[in-house]
Amino acid sequence: MTSPSELRKDAVSGRWVIIASDRSKRPDDFRPAKTAERPRVSSAFCPFCAGNEAKTPPQIFALAGPDDGSGRAPWRVRVVPNKFPAVSRGDAPARTKSGLFESMPGIGVHEVVIESPDHDREMADLPTDHIRDILTTYQARLQSLETEPQYAYVQLFKNKGMDAGASLSHPHTQIVALPIIPKRVKEEIYNSDRFFRKTGECLFCRALAEELGAGERIVLKNEHFAAFEPFASRFPFETRIFPLRHAPHFSGARPEELAALAETLSAVLSKLKALLGDPSYNLVLHQSPHPARARRHWPEIERIAHWYLEIIPVLTHVAGFEWGTGFYINPVVPESAAKFLRE
Amino acid sequence: MKRILIVEDEEALCLLYEEELSGEGYDVTTARDAEQALEILKGERFDLIVTDIRMPGRDGVELITQIMGLRKEIPIVINTAYQSYRDDFMTWAADAYVIKSSSLDELKARIRELLAR
Repeated sequence: MTSPSELRKDAVSGRWVIIASDRSKRPDDFRPAKTAERPRVSSAFCPFCAGNEAKTPPQIFALAGPDDGSGRAPWRVRVVPNKFPAVSRGDAPARTKSGLFESMPGIGVHEVVIESPDHDREMADLPTDHIRDILTTYQARLQSLETEPQYAYVQLFKNKGMDAGASLSHPHTQIVALPIIPKRVKEEIYNSDRFFRKTGECLFCRALAEELGAGERIVLKNEHFAAFEPFASRFPFETRIFPLRHAPHFSGARPEELAALAETLSAVLSKLKALLGDPSYNLVLHQSPHPARARRHWPEIERIAHWYLEIIPVLTHVAGFEWGTGFYINPVVPESAAKFLRE
Repeated sequence: MKRILIVEDEEALCLLYEEELSGEGYDVTTARDAEQALEILKGERFDLIVTDIRMPGRDGVELITQIMGLRKEIPIVINTAYQSYRDDFMTWAADAYVIKSSSLDELKARIRELLAR
């Protein structure tokens, strides 16, 4: 009897996944039922909209847009610190330990990238030069935070839609700098380090080469990037965007790479929006920890870490089995998802 | 005398804030929910608003976004028992976020700062 499912291992995370295709469903059956966004009240106040700059903390970075003659907003992308942050700036914190109970002061940085003065224009709706400006802004902030070695890891992420955890529908990205290297980041680096010591190759470069060789999970490829549905995708339409050039940090991306990434993101996000009914999604940057901190554990960190973006549409729910085992059940075969997005 | 509107659903806390802030020399009015607060705001002007978040009916976050539609310049202090609303960017409509405690020192300090601006 043929098994209705297949277990697959993701080489990068070391995580196993159950690919359990529900044959009665097609990929586009995963269009989510829309969850209502929080309605904009009365005169539609939003702290991120143009005109409400006084309600945010003073901006720490901004890019001006082309002058459209409206004089409406003197900025196209702006960055502000979180007004009510859960962590605050400071020196490298000392850990305190009492038996197994380990803790440290809540040192860190939390910034918000407001992607556009327009409340209703999602990244998928923006022209590629605007997306490139957002990426340039990410890069500038990451470069700045990387000068502060007390922050071992800088996490950049975007929650789009309430189901993805966004509290506000105005398009924004968050950047959080942490004094420790998170466990999931360590897992990827450990796997890559083990692979490097065995083969002398970067695990991410090899994974990319094998995906490009197989071809069936590739969504698109240009001169600098490839977007694909990973072999062991945890979620339907989970998409990774890998730079073709090995580089440990997003901050080191070249101008032509940022332009190509803007085109790649625009294409992938537009496809997800059009084909899956504008789902909520999380966009997450994976990259190297701060080299000064990482070299203590991994002397070859620049050779084994490789930045990439991950987009996870929220189409299914994580439940008890996933929490208990760390296994995920994906009801859409990644090859079918890639074919659907390609066509 | 500076006028403060307190929005708080717990009667005992309402009385405590009214007494303590009146003792600081403010003219204090209280509302027990967002609807009552909006009704009061239709006819009266205040220099500052202090609001709880978890309340029956409309919550404090909805209330402050409504207030922004009426008077964007009025300073607002969120006074809540919960840290978790820090994740909600709609709270940025407020000017300060205070965690409720048995001491009112921080609440009073934030009020003083905002009224001195």
